[in-house]
This record gives sequence, C-alpha cells and structure tokens, in this order.
Amino acid sequence: MKKRLVFAVMATAAVSLILAACGSSKSSSSTSTSSSDSKTLKVAALEGGYGADVWKQVAKDFEAANPGVKVKLTIDKKLESVISPQMKAGDYPDVVHLATGRPDGLTETMIKGNNMENISDVMNMKIPGESKTVKDVIRPGFDGTLATEPYGDGKTYMMPMFYAPTGLFYNKALLKENGWSVPKTWDEMIALGQKAKAKGISLFTYPTTGYMDSLSYSLLADIGGKDYFNKAMAYDHDAWSGSNGTKYFDSVGQLLKQTASTTVANANNENYRKNQQLILDNKALFMPNGTWVVDEMKDAPRAKGFEWGFTALPGIKADDQYAYTYFEQIWVPKAAKNKTLAKKFIAFMYSDKAAKDFLKGGAVQPIKTIDSQLTAQQKTFYDVYNQGAKVLVGGFKNAKAVEGVNWTDTLFGEMTSVTSGSKSVKSWQSDVVKAADQLR
Amino acid sequence: MTGSNSARTRFIWLCLSPAVILMAIFMLYPVVSVFQMSLYKWGGYSPDKQFVGFDNFKILAGDMNFIRSFQNTILLIVVVTVFTLAFALVFAAILTRVKFKGIGLFRVIFYIPNILSIVVISAMFSAIYDPTQGLLNSFLRLFHPANWAGIQWLGNEKIVIFSLAITLIWQAIGYYMVMYMSSMASIPEDLYESSALDGAGVLKQFFSITLPLTWSTIRTTLTFFVISTINLSFLLVTAMTGGGPNGSTEVFLSYMYKQANTNSAYGYGMAIGVVVFGFSFILSAVLQAITKRDIYEF
Repeated sequence: MKKRLVFAVMATAAVSLILAACGSSKSSSSTSTSSSDSKTLKVAALEGGYGADVWKQVAKDFEAANPGVKVKLTIDKKLESVISPQMKAGDYPDVVHLATGRPDGLTETMIKGNNMENISDVMNMKIPGESKTVKDVIRPGFDGTLATEPYGDGKTYMMPMFYAPTGLFYNKALLKENGWSVPKTWDEMIALGQKAKAKGISLFTYPTTGYMDSLSYSLLADIGGKDYFNKAMAYDHDAWSGSNGTKYFDSVGQLLKQTASTTVANANNENYRKNQQLILDNKALFMPNGTWVVDEMKDAPRAKGFEWGFTALPGIKADDQYAYTYFEQIWVPKAAKNKTLAKKFIAFMYSDKAAKDFLKGGAVQPIKTIDSQLTAQQKTFYDVYNQGAKVLVGGFKNAKAVEGVNWTDTLFGEMTSVTSGSKSVKSWQSDVVKAADQLR
Repeated sequence: MTGSNSARTRFIWLCLSPAVILMAIFMLYPVVSVFQMSLYKWGGYSPDKQFVGFDNFKILAGDMNFIRSFQNTILLIVVVTVFTLAFALVFAAILTRVKFKGIGLFRVIFYIPNILSIVVISAMFSAIYDPTQGLLNSFLRLFHPANWAGIQWLGNEKIVIFSLAITLIWQAIGYYMVMYMSSMASIPEDLYESSALDGAGVLKQFFSITLPLTWSTIRTTLTFFVISTINLSFLLVTAMTGGGPNGSTEVFLSYMYKQANTNSAYGYGMAIGVVVFGFSFILSAVLQAITKRDIYEF
C-alpha cells in the first residue's frame, strides 16, 4: 500500500514536471523580459521587396543612438508564420512592421481582436537624435485615415511606413512605336484596347486579383469622389448596390473582358510573375502593380527597347484622377513588454538617418524631405501626383469577423470568374453587396 | 506471489507512462482543445472568447463555400483513390510477376515522385500546365491549328480540380506500389505454377490469386488514401493555386486555414477541423467495414 502511494506520488511528480516544462515558456519569458526591461527591444519586420539589410542597418543605428539598448530582429518573408505561433504562446514582439492586406491577414486579426496598443502620442514625440517631433516631419495626408486609425475614433494604432503611389505599369516604347497616347479617361483606355486587340495585344493583365485592390480604390474615388470612397470602405449598402457601385462593377467588368487569356491560369502565388512578364513581352498593355515590380523583374527577358512607364489610373472624367497611395504600417501589440521603447523606435523610423537607410533598399518613408533624395527612376513614379493625380489614402474599415464571409475573396477573388466569363458582372455585384451587408 | 505481481504491474505502468504522457500532451490534449475551441467565437489572439454553443456548426451547414470545399475534397479522395489504386496495383503486379531488364530502375523511377517535396512537384506541374509554353499544351498543339488558344489547365474552373488530381495521383502511385509489391512478393510461387498448369492466364491469376491475397494490404491503404489525400491536397493547393481561381480548388484544410487565419474566425476554423476529423474517421470506418473479407491463408 505504501509502495503504491510512493509510486503515485512519483508519477504525479513526473507528470507535473513535464507539464511544467511545457508551460514554462510563458513564465520564463515574462521573468527574462522584466529583468532586461528597456534593454532588449524585440522588432519583427516583414522582409518585403526592399530586402532584410535595410532593417539590420536601421536596428544598428537605433542601438548606436540609444546606448544600452539591444534590438532583437525577426525578419522574414512570411513573418506571420514565424511570429503567430510565438504570439499564441504569449511571446509578443514589441514592434511589428506588417501591413494590412496581406493574404494571412494577421494585422487585420490584431485589429479585430483589439490587440493593438494606442500609439497616438508617437506623433508628438521627439525623434531620437533630432530636435523635431514626428508630426513636424511626416507628410500631411498620411494620418487620420482608416489605414492608421482602424476604428475611426481619432486614435492612432498604426503608423505609416514605406509609401508608394499605385497605378498602371506599361511599356513606354510599345505605346510610342504604335503612336498611342497614354489614356486619360476610362473610355479612352477601353477604346485603346480595341486598337491593341487588332495587333494581337491584350489591354490588361493582373498578377493576382490581390493587386486589384489599389486599382479598385482609385476607381471608386474616380467615380464618386472621396466621400463615396469612404462610404464604400465602410461597407455601405448603397455605395455598392447604387448607381455608383454599378458603375464600378461595370467598369471593372469592361476591363476584365479585355484581359489577357492566360492571366487567370497564372494568377496564383506560384505563377504570378508570368502575368507580369506579359508586359515585358508586349503581350499586354497595362497592369496594376507596385513600384517594386521594376526590381522584381529586373532579370527577366524583355522586348527590344522596353522602358517602364507608369500612369495614374485613367479617370472616369478627364482631369479627375486619383492615385491610391499604398503604405505599409508599423504597430505595437497590446501585449508587448517594452511599450515605451517601442514607441521610441517607431519615432526613430522618421529620422533622417533611418530614412536614408531605408532609401538604400528602395523604401521611401512618408517624410517631407524625401523628394529631394529620390533617384531618377523613383521620381518617375512619385511624380504622378505632380502631374495632376490626387492623393488617396485609406482602406477598408475594420469589420467584425463574420464566419464564412471573406470580403477580399468576394470583391477581388471573384474577378477571376468574371475574367473567364463563368460569372456575370451582375452576380458578382450581388455577391459583394451581400457580403457588405453581413460585415457592416 | 502477490508482491511480485504488483511489482510487475508497477513496472508495466512505469514503462508505459512516458508514451502515455507524451500521447496525452501532444495528441489527446490538442484534439480535445480543437473540439472545445469550435464552440467559441474567437479571433485567435484576444483573451475574450465568446461561447456560442453549436452556432459555428449551424453556420457551416449553410456556408456554400465550405460545401464547395467539401465537394472538392470528396471528389479528390474518390478520383485519387480509384486511379492510384488501379495504377499502383497493375504496376506492382507487373514489376513482381514479369521478369524483364531494368526492373530495379523502374522501381526507383516510380518511387521518385514520393521523395520530392510537394513544393517541387507543384513547381513542376505549374510548368507542365502552363497555358502557352507548358509541356501538355505544346504536345496537344501538334494536333491543333496554329492559332489554338490551348487549354487553361489551371485557369478553367471546371478543369483545375482534375489538374490537381492528376498531380496527386502522379506523386502517390510509387508509394502504394511499393506497399503492394512487398505484399505480392510474399505470395508463394507454387500457387501461380499450379494455376498455370490448370490453364489460368495472367489476368485470371491477377484477379483470383494476386488480388485476394493482397486484400488486407489494400484495405489498410484505403485509410491511408483518405488521410493522405486530405493532407496533401492542402499542401498542393497552397503551393499551386492558392484555392483559386475563385475558390474552385478550395479543399477542407485550405478553407479551414483561410477562415481561422485570414478571416480571423478561429473558432469557426476549429469547427471545420472537427468536421474534417469526424469525416475522415467515419469514411475510414465505412471503408474498413465494406471491404471486410475472409482472410485467405497460404
């Protein structure tokens, strides 16, 4: 009997030891960070088209400016799959550079779960090593939208990073050769498609339907102005089902009808570069993309005399064009341990030093003095606003998670079916309206 | 006597406990948590979970996207199982029964797809299915006029699921073939000799000797087919089509992943997990029940 008792005690001890070992990550991490409070800053950053080196350099500079502070970087092309499991286990980074609109939607999930720290005070913070505040140097127009204040309550939860205008990319040489001019209106563009078709060139292609977001944003603002754009971003029923909404679906439908035939088959993460190649091969005229495409396709073969061209999306009316400004976001999880230092790090992102580091990798920070430092190639893209296109910033409003309703899969994903003709524009619109009604 | 008996019991318990504990922590606990989480409305990160009972399952029943992913998975399981089983059996029978030169080479060649990563396979088949320069369309173009547009293997919503099935069959044949071969190799040669004396041809031998005597192996592999198709189709879809075009290649697990992560509906994703668990369990049980035969001995 005694032996049995001893054995039972031993067995329980063994089990609890194993369980303790399994569950220790939480307790040990909390103790280690409290002892090294404000010493080690955990920064998680997406390795985007600008590479990982820019982040390493910026981290080094931040360490140099803040003696005693060590920055622990996590940089990955698929950052979500690295930090999500850690976060689920209670180990949160202090600063996360990860934009909304990614396929995994981690940033959106954090917004929906109210898991982000209010960082409104960063705007009034002094940039480390400089005398100005963040507010002084940041470009106007980048704050105060749903992209930085996802709840629309005037509180900032995300700060703008790396910005780029969006529009259509094309081959300058091809248009010149054929004597075609860059279309300024939607009708001109559709008409140009007919001319191109006679030469065996498709009007349009898209890498994946995910790239149709910026085009859609610009088009919505072109159709109904900024107020209408904001309504559509808030899933307003009339905005999607009314006459402006119908105009949007019909216009995109026109464009999709003139899309290169192989686009749908290659519109996936494995093959999307083949769609981008259509522009280089003079098989399609226009595609929506980001400024990184130039670097991404730099080794690809191309038609003779090829030269990247970039234009804002043609407006519905001439001289009324919007060019959606895409920017990435940086934020602090609510569960972060070093929030004060994290905010300081974010303020440092807008310093001249950090901006220069980022620029080396091609990433452009939204600060006032950046224009003078751009390269000639970058200028052709960023000049689009000087040529008459209006700035448009924002994005879809944070919506509650509705089981089984995937907004981007409905609004953008169904475009492949419209392209291939298996779905009508009308039924696409009614699907979108239905989804919007559920999300509102 | 009783003392040594209880010592023996203790020893057995002691030996079993590491496996039992590990099993409990890494298998039992996660499975139970999946069931538990499926009853909550939860984003995955926030501390506040809302208990919703069976609401997630009720929504599932009316979610057309889920039903489509269900259909796609069943289609893949049926098509992949039927064709892989048939091809693997025939190839195994040929490689064990027929003696010809280079038999070892063929065994290796058939098995190679199985050791390739699914990402490599998806890259290969993406190249094969390419609408303009792909192997498949280039071959078919021989029989068509010069301006033939080609078949959109990965772009046509009606075809694309079969393109995936072909890829899955191609990579699975070798694995099952090796299993069937080992089972066939143990069938005594004299059975074939005596049946040949009685006038049985190759086909008759295959259906009357080979097939019945490998039946128990085939039954086991049926369960493997169900599980591996559910798992591999997720990997392949993720690497190759991303569920597109427009959800036409969405399968069980890819839809579950999308709902749990992209759509921030973690509880709902777990409800899908529960359905997948139940489905594969029941399907395997049904397959085992209906394929039950008397085991032949030799």
